[in-house]
Amino acid sequence: MTGTPGARSLLGLAELIVGFGRQCGADEVEATVSDGREFSVDVRRGSIENLVEAGSRYLSFRVIKDRKTAHATSSDLQDETLRRLVSNAVRRAALGNRDEYAGLPSLSSERVDIPSLRLFDAEVPKLETAQKIRLALETERIALEDKRITNSHGASFITSEVTTVLASSNGFVGSYDQTFCSLSVGLQAGETDERVEDCWVSVDRFLKNLESPETVAKKAVERTVRQLRPRKIRTQTVPVIFEPEMTDWLVGFLFACISAAAVYQKTTFLAGRLGERIGNENITVVDDGLMPGRLGSRPFDSEGVPCRRTAVFDHGILLRFLSNTYAGRKLSFPTTGNADGTGVGPNNFYLLPGAATPQEILASTKKGLVLTRTIGHGLNPVTGDLSRGAFGLWVEGGEVAYPVSEVTIAGNLEQILSQVEMVGNDLDFRAPVCGPTVKVAALTVAGE
Amino acid sequence: MIAFEDHFGMAEAETRKLLELSLSRGGEFAEIYCEYRIYSFINMEEDIIKETAESISLGLGVRVVSGEKTGYGYTNDLSPGSIKSAALTAASIADSGNTASLPGFRKAPAAKDRYPLIRPAHQVSLQDKMELVRRAYLSCQKADPKIKKVKVLFSDQAQYISVVNSEGWAARDARPLVKLICTAVAEKEKRKEIGFSGGGGRVGFEYFRQKIPPEQIGREAAEEALLLLEAVEAPAGEMPVILAPGHAGVLVHEAVGHLLEADFVRRKTSIFWDKLGRKVGSSLLTIYDDPTLPSFRGSYNIDDEGTPPSRTLLIDHGVVHSFLQDRLSARLMGRPLTGHARRQDYTCIPIPRMSNTYVDRGQDDPADILKSVAKGIYAEKFEGGQVEDSGKFTFSISAGYLVEDGRLTAPIKQATLIGTNIDILQKIDRVGGDLSFGLQTGSCGKDGQEVPVTDGCPTIRISRMTVGGQS
Repeated sequence: MTGTPGARSLLGLAELIVGFGRQCGADEVEATVSDGREFSVDVRRGSIENLVEAGSRYLSFRVIKDRKTAHATSSDLQDETLRRLVSNAVRRAALGNRDEYAGLPSLSSERVDIPSLRLFDAEVPKLETAQKIRLALETERIALEDKRITNSHGASFITSEVTTVLASSNGFVGSYDQTFCSLSVGLQAGETDERVEDCWVSVDRFLKNLESPETVAKKAVERTVRQLRPRKIRTQTVPVIFEPEMTDWLVGFLFACISAAAVYQKTTFLAGRLGERIGNENITVVDDGLMPGRLGSRPFDSEGVPCRRTAVFDHGILLRFLSNTYAGRKLSFPTTGNADGTGVGPNNFYLLPGAATPQEILASTKKGLVLTRTIGHGLNPVTGDLSRGAFGLWVEGGEVAYPVSEVTIAGNLEQILSQVEMVGNDLDFRAPVCGPTVKVAALTVAGE
Repeated sequence: MIAFEDHFGMAEAETRKLLELSLSRGGEFAEIYCEYRIYSFINMEEDIIKETAESISLGLGVRVVSGEKTGYGYTNDLSPGSIKSAALTAASIADSGNTASLPGFRKAPAAKDRYPLIRPAHQVSLQDKMELVRRAYLSCQKADPKIKKVKVLFSDQAQYISVVNSEGWAARDARPLVKLICTAVAEKEKRKEIGFSGGGGRVGFEYFRQKIPPEQIGREAAEEALLLLEAVEAPAGEMPVILAPGHAGVLVHEAVGHLLEADFVRRKTSIFWDKLGRKVGSSLLTIYDDPTLPSFRGSYNIDDEGTPPSRTLLIDHGVVHSFLQDRLSARLMGRPLTGHARRQDYTCIPIPRMSNTYVDRGQDDPADILKSVAKGIYAEKFEGGQVEDSGKFTFSISAGYLVEDGRLTAPIKQATLIGTNIDILQKIDRVGGDLSFGLQTGSCGKDGQEVPVTDGCPTIRISRMTVGGQS
């Protein structure tokens, strides 16, 4: 067989791999082709720094023979290479160990209506390069008008269009198109050795939903300047209010702990605790792949299993782990449509909002810390312990008193979930893994 | 050195044509970066080889520079049409009528090989690699009955790059990279802890016979998990901190290295932008970045712009001596090249990066440094850190000890340390003579690009730093 990769349809390529694999003796084969166009422009101080534009196509597949699995990926799509990769994979699988749980999911009769998910905006591919550059320049220009801003990390406008095609030997064939666009700016304020920095980014699938240059600039400015002239504080245990971006981070850590892959590998403190109360009544968490227009939505997961809505925590009770087919089989429950490559990943995974406004949460706090940013590592799913460098705003008498820097926060996820006193009404799905403002009754804040 | 494999086969005439096309809109500098990478992976857990993987990455990136602007196009479709289209995308960054003329090509002189190896891992049979993985696995599992879960990952890759630019420079490199890592979970009563170890570098398979046997990696992971079972909460607040020799070099990677990367310096976002020749830290502190250390994970024969690298003195007895440069920043700043332009792969624009960063050895006896601390912590292993341009940085301890009356006492649980670089660098008041490097397993992320790096340091005392424990 000959032929240039460009001339072949994406589906044809995926099916070709499934066919090659079966010819080589594989029992099961699953092939994914992803075809994308990427554009990004970075501007700084009023002129373009980088402009990148490219199209690329990647293939990934797995073969299973006698319940032994081998994976491969390639960006070289010439027939000769692909044939060699497939036959290597089948040979490699034979050298591995038999695993009773290995294998593809059985074909589901359910199909998600793709257009109803609103994953693709036809306006994104049509947008002119000049307009993209203008949006980035405009955002930075507005931000720099504020005299408190002393330097810029630059503004960026990014778009991508991706087609995902999946074919597998269980009979599944599917494909979907999606778009993303983002507008961001990063800023510094303050003098030479006492500068502070922050950024703001707006991401959406639809151009019309993207925040305007004014909004992105204003938010970035506000987030930056509010940190000026920070103070150190003494080490103490106080209530901590997580801004939504910080709740996103906490919910992301929670995902790592409820992934069925971590559960069967015993690398999470939540292993074996289904049905137990982990958090208080304020903790209701859902994974939902079917929310129209949301960043984490998709019709099927990386194994072709239809996505769905899964309740993970209900008022503090741990109901389900999120799973792909393999981890589900290990734990004797069905997949939840969370396969992501070779592992388990979130769709839209979020903490449900409460009734309080962020202002009410602040007003309820006599003394405490609003957590605005963290840096560093320090998450341990095995114990649930977390520890990070932190930036925030000190609260006195229900009002922000002054910014705080050079502190760390430390705690344990289970303790935090059982001490969430208030949950905000400000969930906005800016990220696939997200949550609203929350107030945690007590955390150790280390300072002087 | 592994033999260079050419998967592009572009004749000089074709290359010239492509560079000319790239400069057709008036760019000043054009470059073609070709990359072919093969990668293999083995994962063992639950007593079986669970998966194996093979990856091939093939692609080409064209970069055009015009003033301070960079245009970049890339493709993994090597048809003439796609390559031409990548070149035209990059070319469009410029819009003057000037057309540059190309000089004749000069091949980069053969650099001293920094990856001396006997048995390239990508040529080793899968069976032999699996055997290596099993040896590490069993050694970890058998270390103690409290070890309840073991995971071993092995990966190796061979990366072939070729860089040709419009100044007529042509260079190439063939880089091996090997990594064997083990994680262990130990359980006692209801408590669980995780331990980690690993090894590798730009080495051949003989490394696991001559340098670090797989059994050692397995055992070290088990020992760390077992130690943490006995760990107490780390203290919270300001106190003296002793950095153990080796991986604690992550502190200077974060606190100093990133902020001396020339892109942050020329944009004046780095707190160090105006500090060249000025004292920013203790006189005991001398820091190098050295991409030429043989077999190290962060090393290379040429950087990703084709520049031969050199050991670069960053901080000389507390004084900022130089920055880490790529071509663009070096030209804009009027500084010499240092060979620190790196990119994750052909889809990325090269930017200034660290390679192997370390604090040079000092005069103190490590035992005296320990004795000098009445109450503080000893930071031994790390899971990484982060810095922002303002100089605020953190790093997280994954294993360490309390220091009481000059002795190591209880092991402590993970904790994050935070500080501002210009403050902490002045508080380094003891530097030992026992320089060593951390594990050959780490990577550094910047602008979404991951590259392999190492860090090193001798025993160091910081007189006061904020430790973020819970007690």
